[in-house]
Amino acid sequence: MKIAWKEIKKSKSRFIILGSIVFLVSLLTFIISGLANGLSQDNAALIKDMPEGQFYMDEDADETYNLSKINEDTQDKVLKDNKDAAALSIQMGFVNDADDKQQSVAFVTSTDSDLFESVGEGEIILDESLKEKGIKVGDTLTNNQFSDDFTVKGFVDQKKFSHSPVAYINMENYKEMYRVNEMQLLFVPDQDKAQTIDGLQAFSNKDFLDTIPSYSAEQLSLNMIVWFLVVISGMLFGIFFYMMNVQKIGLYGILKAVGVKTSYLFKMMWSQMILITLIALVFSVALSQGFAMFAPEGMPFHLTIETTVQLSVVFVIIGFIGATLSGIQIKKVEPLQAIQQGEV
Amino acid sequence: MSVFTVDEVKKTFTNGEVQEQVLKGVNLSLKQGEITALVGASGSGKSTILTIAAGLQPASGGVIHFDGKNMTNMSQEEIRKIRATEFGFIFQSSHLVPFLTVEEQLVLMLDVSGTKMKKKEQKEEVEKILKLVGMDHRKDAYPASLSGGEKQRVAISRAIIHKPKMLFADEPTASLDSKRSKEVMMLIRDLTKTLHITTLMVTHEEEMLPYADHVVTMKDGLILEGA
Ligand SMILES: Nc1ncnc2c1ncn2[C@@H]1O[C@H](COP(=O)(O)OP(=O)(O)O)[C@@H](O)[C@H]1O
Ligand SMILES: [Mg+2]
Repeated sequence: MKIAWKEIKKSKSRFIILGSIVFLVSLLTFIISGLANGLSQDNAALIKDMPEGQFYMDEDADETYNLSKINEDTQDKVLKDNKDAAALSIQMGFVNDADDKQQSVAFVTSTDSDLFESVGEGEIILDESLKEKGIKVGDTLTNNQFSDDFTVKGFVDQKKFSHSPVAYINMENYKEMYRVNEMQLLFVPDQDKAQTIDGLQAFSNKDFLDTIPSYSAEQLSLNMIVWFLVVISGMLFGIFFYMMNVQKIGLYGILKAVGVKTSYLFKMMWSQMILITLIALVFSVALSQGFAMFAPEGMPFHLTIETTVQLSVVFVIIGFIGATLSGIQIKKVEPLQAIQQGEV
Repeated sequence: MSVFTVDEVKKTFTNGEVQEQVLKGVNLSLKQGEITALVGASGSGKSTILTIAAGLQPASGGVIHFDGKNMTNMSQEEIRKIRATEFGFIFQSSHLVPFLTVEEQLVLMLDVSGTKMKKKEQKEEVEKILKLVGMDHRKDAYPASLSGGEKQRVAISRAIIHKPKMLFADEPTASLDSKRSKEVMMLIRDLTKTLHITTLMVTHEEEMLPYADHVVTMKDGLILEGA
């Protein structure tokens, strides 16, 4: 499609404008998608980093893990039947450091499992983000619901829940603090299909994430923005090619008159659309990946290559659809129109 | 022998409520290798019959035969193929592709007409035809940098590079001054005679008539005299 390229070279400014628009919209989409992902990581890395499996909570808990109480007999049975399974609980709370400064945390406790930190009584393991708050290994932390003190035993990478750093504590300490004997959740890893367990409701990892209210609301609005941008970019493609095609109706007519196939004209438009989109995407992918690397510390930005590639493919497809829809007018052009219009 | 015949061709345009019969039964018979000039007052239907004959718009009635085939029964795609391979067109303005050089325009035409040629052969063919129209020195120029007469020469070479059987020309000299017009007409005549191309040409300039083999006059959608 040399002719397509020739036209681009001859009408550089038009195509540069189109390319810049695609570049800006796709860059914005990548950045927002990176933020969406980053926030979701910040919100629920604890759950997102777990292997695929099934979560179980009390049927009567109304899909709210906080209200769930797993019957101890059921728990014993499930843990016996599935050796990698764990029972766990999560509660939002606070710890006070030596200077009596309050830090909000998500207390997590579980039965013995490789998926969670094992902590002895009076010990606590924290998400590394608390290091920045000046907490060190060996520090003593307190909590007003806990009669004893916690000693910081270590830190873990990127364990967040509900935008708070996770604090692993021993199950006995947890039971004392929250005056419960039952755990909220059971997790069975590597289970594709949920078992039916009396009195329990099963959730895949993703379904469980969606039961966390802040998580689903946040992701929903960010993903909405991402998809709006994708749709808008499709429309921009459509409008832009429409305008270019309108200007070229005379040319299309004359080419048709001398016997050029309509499909040839479409191929010409498609090659231009794909070329411009790919060049624009190369720039926006490079820039967004660069941004991912140099994003300010503490800004929840997480953009994987996979997401970028997926979105890029969607951009090409949507551009293709937009250009094709606007190209329907090419099909309608009558050769005569051009001849009667005079000089192209 | 007639390669191209038009029998009782009618054309009615409908503009909302108003119906206007522009062609009221036109008959034409074009002989191989000859130039037929179509003259007549503005609005008499010359361009309409030319474009119908060239397969650029359908007739409302009548039959057109080209090379023994009935064109009125053909599908759009069949007619497109004939336009691409067997017909050549010259219009009032040159209608060149603005972003292609003179050479590229002609190569595109060779591609469109489906002539199986290597790149090198194509270039040679282009070179040859440009020599014929005296434009070989401008083969790398873009249309915008050519004068009106030069553009029309390129348009003529585009119309004949694929060696069509028929050439349709609608006032090909209208945009040129008298001297240029004669040059272009001479060129059309020489080329169509050497290549045995059958030509139907609309003109309203008296000066152009000596270049035609036949002159046909139209009035109000009918042929008055001639072929
Ligand atoms: N597409 C069209 N729609 C409606 N009327 C048309 C159309 N094309 C031509 N006409 C009418 O047909 C008549 C003949 O036009 P045309 O063939 O262009 O005349 P000429 O070329 O002899 O000057 C004119 O009255 C013109 O207005
Ligand atoms: Mg006319």
